[in-house]
Amino acid sequence: MGFADHYPALIVVVLFIAAFLSPLLFRWVEKAAAPFLIAALGSALYMTVILLVEVQKSGPVLYHMGGWPPPWGIEFRVDPLRVFMLLIVISVSLWIFIYAVRDLKHELKKEVTGWYYTLYALLVGSMAGIALTNDLFNLFVLMEICAISACAIISIKEERECLEASFKYLILSAMGTGCFLLGVAMLYMATGYLNYSFLQLELAETLTLYPRNIFAAAALFIVAFGTKAALFPLHVWLPDAHASAPSPSSAMLSGLVIKIYAFALFLIFYQVFPRELLDLIPLNEIILWLASLGVMFGSIYAMLQTDLKKMLAYSSIGQIGYIFMGIGFDHNLALIGGFYHIMVHAVTKALLFMTAGIIIYSTGVRQIKDLAGIGRVLPLTMLAFTIGSASMIGIPGTGGLISKWYLSLSALEIGRPFFVLIILASSLLNAIYYMPIVINAFMHQEDFKTETKPVPRFMLGTLVAGMLFIVLAGIFSKPVVTLLEQGVASLF
Amino acid sequence: MDDATVVAVLITIVVFPIIMTPVILYSSKISEKLRNILAVATSAVVFLLTLSLYPTIARGGIVQHTLFEILPNLEISLRLDILSFSLAALASFIWFLCTVYSIDYMSKEHATSRYYPVLIFTLGSCQGIFFAGDLFSLFVFFELMSLIAYILVIHEETEEALKAGYKYLVMTIIGGLALFFGIIIIFELGGTVSLGVGSIIQESSVLAFLAFICFLIGFGMKAGMFPLHVWLPDAHPVAPSPASALLSGVMLKTGAYGLLRVIFNVFSPDLLKNSGWDNVLGVLAVITILLGSAVALTQTDIKRRLAYSSISQLGYVLLGLSVLNDNAVTGAVFHIFSHAFMKSTLFLAAGAIIWKTGIRNIADYKGIGRQMPVTMGCFSIAALAMIGIPPLNGFLSKWTLALGCLDAYMPFYVLILMISSLLNALYYLPILIPAFFELPAAKNGHQHNSHHDHDLKINIEEASPGMLSATIILALCTFFFGLTPNNIVFALSRLTSAFLMLGGSL
Repeated sequence: MGFADHYPALIVVVLFIAAFLSPLLFRWVEKAAAPFLIAALGSALYMTVILLVEVQKSGPVLYHMGGWPPPWGIEFRVDPLRVFMLLIVISVSLWIFIYAVRDLKHELKKEVTGWYYTLYALLVGSMAGIALTNDLFNLFVLMEICAISACAIISIKEERECLEASFKYLILSAMGTGCFLLGVAMLYMATGYLNYSFLQLELAETLTLYPRNIFAAAALFIVAFGTKAALFPLHVWLPDAHASAPSPSSAMLSGLVIKIYAFALFLIFYQVFPRELLDLIPLNEIILWLASLGVMFGSIYAMLQTDLKKMLAYSSIGQIGYIFMGIGFDHNLALIGGFYHIMVHAVTKALLFMTAGIIIYSTGVRQIKDLAGIGRVLPLTMLAFTIGSASMIGIPGTGGLISKWYLSLSALEIGRPFFVLIILASSLLNAIYYMPIVINAFMHQEDFKTETKPVPRFMLGTLVAGMLFIVLAGIFSKPVVTLLEQGVASLF
Repeated sequence: MDDATVVAVLITIVVFPIIMTPVILYSSKISEKLRNILAVATSAVVFLLTLSLYPTIARGGIVQHTLFEILPNLEISLRLDILSFSLAALASFIWFLCTVYSIDYMSKEHATSRYYPVLIFTLGSCQGIFFAGDLFSLFVFFELMSLIAYILVIHEETEEALKAGYKYLVMTIIGGLALFFGIIIIFELGGTVSLGVGSIIQESSVLAFLAFICFLIGFGMKAGMFPLHVWLPDAHPVAPSPASALLSGVMLKTGAYGLLRVIFNVFSPDLLKNSGWDNVLGVLAVITILLGSAVALTQTDIKRRLAYSSISQLGYVLLGLSVLNDNAVTGAVFHIFSHAFMKSTLFLAAGAIIWKTGIRNIADYKGIGRQMPVTMGCFSIAALAMIGIPPLNGFLSKWTLALGCLDAYMPFYVLILMISSLLNALYYLPILIPAFFELPAAKNGHQHNSHHDHDLKINIEEASPGMLSATIILALCTFFFGLTPNNIVFALSRLTSAFLMLGGSL
């Protein structure tokens, strides 16, 4: 085996090693810590790109940890969809980190910054692992790492509301993990396997023997991943957690962490559960309705918020609904739409949280009503907010439209135009709460009197990159869609 | 010109103004004069480039070209045929005149460094709508233009303008979502949204009807169709006058253009007639015509009255589209031209009066014709054309529309046209008569003796030459393109109608 064959494992390992080294570096050579982590993320990105090229050339690859074959050894699976997810996780977290380096100096105490890097690398590493692993127990372990580091990057600010929010998150997330473990136990009891591929084969046969166990496991999985991904009505922890965290953490949590669980649920549905199970009980239907409710209620709650970051957090509940809709329709076009939305929303929501971070960094303003006229002092930031909002609404020329296009198309394809109306209604709701912020920011320019700090060029540069991506995703979307088509084709 | 050149010209027409937008924005930092010159030059170049496509049109050429695919089977493409050429030429012509007019008009306004880039950007996206080769590209440019035009609507930044702007924005987004729904249904049913394949939807179905209604909502909203007109009378008057002229004169027509494309290239006249969908359009058109005129009667602000009048006038176009025969469609297309000339003249003249005297209230128009005879003369020509007095273009379009209605054995519609003309007379003449034959209210408070009044000298104070010439040129268009049916605009309308009735694609 060549060195390149170990890339799937190396991506995770590099990040975990970086997690352990960065606080040490931070203590010894403070200036080198951030570039070191950027280099680690960069090398992970490089390996991901190589994997992507490989997968497109020669199809899915299975990687056996330490050479042990499944069902005993740990298996990583590299297929187009997983690499797609991996690419989003690594590149978006690299992008957010470049922003974070400057922002954290302002938000955190200096002595914890090194630890923040550790948590950040652990979080990215565990998400990369979740995207790649082909083994339920391994998934469980990585989910725990992910949950704990996510809680920690909220509470690291050591403010009262952060602690409260992260505690709430910890409890609910522990409940989710508990449900998951119980579900895994039931599947293991019925089949004796934990490997996805083995489970899928075996479950098809044992479905008639242990139907109740398997149904219960399915229900537990929905609750487990629903809680972690903030699927309505299990979203209660999200607004506090995402709003109170430091802005780079909010961007990570809203942009990536909730999506990785949605992706894990997708893997369970299509790579663990056999087709017979999905045909037998209306799992997709349940997800679809919960997602539709989430799409509507997330937006309605968001309208009522007065705090900018709270509003963005509630908006995430609505947007994750679109992604779950992609699973709920049970149709290849819908999955393309859902995956596309994972990508677009990861960038868009992260961008919006970054702009919120810059607004707080520069002016200290958090309330929506105080943003009137801010476009005069922070024109580029508010332009980024405008483009992000446009993508949330689904204005043509932004990535948000493409995902809505595919979701709506599949709703029509399966003969349920009602759900197109839901998608459109929620777009309108999005417009109703995003538009006034944009308008107010650029109007009433004389009203804004708060003193401002200059914004570092680095932070503005990351915003420009995000804006460009959103627009390009709306115009040159064909390569990504082709990749997704290729990935989804094997599932149906 | 061969096809490749035509495509290059089309791309330039759409992209050049959009590229010039940041240039103009930046140049305003250097000097205002440079910025004004650049803005006028850009609109002139776009107009000339559009005209340069005429030889291709004259030999019956049609160009359809795919630029690139956004998604599989969904592309950004360009199309040139007689319909798109007619409207693009009209739009760029009026845009050029309004830009010239803006230079003096806007010198009294604030935030001009924002106004010009937006004006030029909307020109590019508007031309994009007309030259779009498929519904999706059309949708992209349509939304782009509508959203950017928001900045024109709220230019004054008053409480009133912001309120009107918010209404405009919400309606635009609702319209955009409806269009999205319509387009996606067409894509689902027909597998393509290209305008180059003839009628995509051949047979009637529930989904197809839903798509038709969605297009009616999306494009009808823009065209001020009842009951989606509510934003229009608020949004058009609050904008600066040249922008009002463009909003009412040109951007309104993009809605009508969209409906033309939907009826002829997506569905087909036969389908509409057989399934009875044309009745929906007919009923809405009649209500729009009567309601717009009736409400215009009650308005006291000149620009609001003109805006309501626009609603009523676009009703004629919708009426022509619901009748769907050769004469009616000719009338509808010709009325798009006529109304663009008339309404731009009216708004520019009203704007000149506001600019010079600050008068917006119709009750204060007494004697204004003596102070500004040329401006008011242009206003009168356009107002008379609105009523449908013979040698003017409004008459010609009503005549053709009426012929079309009679061809389809619908004398009822002719009656509607008559009533509407009467209503037009009722709200335009009370502006004209006092303007010329009454005297301005005495400024210093004491009354003159009545028999001396007619000898009273009033100083002639016209608006600046730039503003005046733009208004005069448009008023002359109103006159010349109505004098006889042997004029280029009417001929274009006739050919367009014939082209559309034959299928509108090949």
